[in-house]
Amino acid sequence: MSNTGVCSGKARVDVSLGGRLFGVETEYGILVEGRDAGDLMEESRLLVSAYPHRWAGPWDYHSEDPRRDMRGFRVDHLNYNKEDARYDAGSTASHLSSQEQRADRALVNGARLYNDHGHPEYATPECRSLRDLVAHDRAGERIVLECARRRAEQTGREVRLFKNNTDFHGMSYGCHEAYLCERAVPFERLFHGMLPFLVTRPLYAGAGKTGVETSGPFAKECRYQLSQRADFFTEEASVDTLARRPIFNTRDEAHADPGRHRRLHVICGDANLSEFATALKVGTTCLVLSLIEAGWEPLFRLKNPVDAIKQVSRDPALRWILELEDGRTMRATDIQRIYLQDAQRLLAGSDADADWTLREWERVLNDLEQDPGRAGDRVDWVAKRRLLDTYIEAEGLRWEDEFLRSLDLEYHNVDPELGLYYALEEAGQMARLVEDAAVVTALRQAPRDTRAAVRGALIQGFAPQIERLSWGRAALRSQPEPRWLYLPVELGDSGDGLLRRVEAATTVEEAVDVLSGEEHVPEQG
Amino acid sequence: MFPNKGEWISGQERMPRPGPAEPFTKPADDSGPKAPDVKRPDPSDLLKRMRRVDPDQARRYRQRSGQ
Repeated sequence: MSNTGVCSGKARVDVSLGGRLFGVETEYGILVEGRDAGDLMEESRLLVSAYPHRWAGPWDYHSEDPRRDMRGFRVDHLNYNKEDARYDAGSTASHLSSQEQRADRALVNGARLYNDHGHPEYATPECRSLRDLVAHDRAGERIVLECARRRAEQTGREVRLFKNNTDFHGMSYGCHEAYLCERAVPFERLFHGMLPFLVTRPLYAGAGKTGVETSGPFAKECRYQLSQRADFFTEEASVDTLARRPIFNTRDEAHADPGRHRRLHVICGDANLSEFATALKVGTTCLVLSLIEAGWEPLFRLKNPVDAIKQVSRDPALRWILELEDGRTMRATDIQRIYLQDAQRLLAGSDADADWTLREWERVLNDLEQDPGRAGDRVDWVAKRRLLDTYIEAEGLRWEDEFLRSLDLEYHNVDPELGLYYALEEAGQMARLVEDAAVVTALRQAPRDTRAAVRGALIQGFAPQIERLSWGRAALRSQPEPRWLYLPVELGDSGDGLLRRVEAATTVEEAVDVLSGEEHVPEQG
Repeated sequence: MFPNKGEWISGQERMPRPGPAEPFTKPADDSGPKAPDVKRPDPSDLLKRMRRVDPDQARRYRQRSGQ
């Protein structure tokens, strides 16, 4: 395992999880009684619009340009799913403006809730700790569930929401992660450093899926695979997200000063129900980014990453053997250990989250190598597999039985009275990382140590006077003239003076005074 | 692969709980409602819940392509 990664930078790295902003955006699947896929743009919009608490909007899309590529160019167009496009022709929502269709809501907890292409999407506020991220991710489950219940009351139709990534008929939707990182890192080093890690991360971050939806390795013999999303990646790198999806997404939207930062937009991950899996996938990705920012790079490359992510996900024997570019083979768990061991050497002791991640990363890899069943209290694909195994045994079913897909889907139902994940959790079978009280707090309070807290304070105090807003700024209707206010990326620790002054402001003009001194940094170059 | 499969559901063996979650400190505002003190369900409830799942759910479940 030696000589498998090299660091051209410092012998020891001072970067830790605590210095990086990260967040998770989840597109939820939606099933409405009596409605079909062609109605989901409208149903999703109306569900989001049923959010009953304080919010501000619309969203300011000025800083967003999904065609801008990290590699220094802008594409002419994005690829769309042709089968999906037919739904738009007869959509009852087609007469609405883009702003009306999206129904953006920025919430007092700093999060964003909106209709993304027929899926209710909840984007957590920016977080700096794994605990905050898990609490806000789970708060998102409760928020969309509340919207679904209100929508069901309004219409008399049952509404079910699923935190998953596939409809089992070839349509996928994402759970994306965002990590602020240094612009100075060359694209090639970031890409080659991240790719083997992302390809093998489903080992512990996969949410599990019955069946296979595309061709490729093990397509015929696989009945259950680790990842919901692996089937849908056909490219190594590109700016696309809706079709011809890449393992490494090159969209260049920093949502911060583009002169200093990139935002690594990870689209190849699954939506996790397990709190542990959410924390570990984000914690490990932060550590790998820190390694790469310090000059580290792996001394190997995968021969075919697009096939490899499917091999990891689908291998029925769970051997996970991958070909390298130089002709050698390596187990996916060993590839993860290369990253782990150098992270232990260079990042141990950085902060509590880094140490938790290093410890749990090693433990889960040990379990996966010795007996994957041992990880059933932490890893979604293992937990779901155990549920399905138990049911198959109890009912005498075969893996080909269609009912297993309905059980698979129900694992992801966000209604605690129905969802099978929640049943496991309620039975004490799943590791918890946050108390319910922290989730309740996250419904109404942003992390105190990121700019999301300032956004939340503005929404709490002055929602009617907010003309529009985005991750980095807000336009306020103040006197004598409307003002753009810029939210500082570096907010500092809890109790930051700037935040307390915004929270104490009694008029929008006072809030403007507090924030008007913040440096104006464009979010897009 | 899963030598203990089925055991948890009959209540014979509980999955090990994780050790102390060190990085996860108490929330800044701890005044919210606490976790409800509810009786743990009988593990056989899991099988009952699975049997109640709508068998046609996955067949009817059609989505738009998302990101």
